[in-house]
Amino acid sequence: MPERRERGEGTLPLPVLMVLAWLVPGLGHMLLGRRLRAGVFFAVVVVAFLLGITLDGELILPHAGDPLSYLAAIASVGNGVLFFVARAVGLGQGVVTSPAFEFGNTFLLTAGMMNMLLVLDVHDIGTGKKEW
Amino acid sequence: MVDHLTLMALDAFLIAVFFSFLWKQEKKERTVYFWKVFGALMLGAILLGWLMYPFPRS
Repeated sequence: MPERRERGEGTLPLPVLMVLAWLVPGLGHMLLGRRLRAGVFFAVVVVAFLLGITLDGELILPHAGDPLSYLAAIASVGNGVLFFVARAVGLGQGVVTSPAFEFGNTFLLTAGMMNMLLVLDVHDIGTGKKEW
Repeated sequence: MVDHLTLMALDAFLIAVFFSFLWKQEKKERTVYFWKVFGALMLGAILLGWLMYPFPRS
């Protein structure tokens, strides 16, 4: 039985839902009643993020003179609260000499981009463009 | 240290699970879509690596 629940009057405003969806992977879907998908999305994004950290990946910040670093920084910040917590405790500095460094970056960037797609999905559900 | 092929497969797995739940609603179509995405990522990466093989590394 597919998940389907209308967005009722008791739910939070859409911009708030989108911010919450960005901060915690899957939270937006959870608040919209899509519990199965919320759980799957949370697990996928968190596992990808933790793998990236474990594999010595870098939570990339913008570097002057390196335009691509700005795009990478957007993807990194897309991880939401995971990004801020990891930076706060000194994780995600990146170990360039590690054999898994590039794979670590790949996992961190894909986790962030997947989470940003979740924000857009919450928007589509909230506006009624997507019914499920 | 896990080898790169395993890491690539793990990344492809996570991405395929993500998109199958993002874009497909029914269980059967999710399963089909998962294998399509997973297969495309794995085979595409191997094919790309094979095409890059003749090029110099430095």
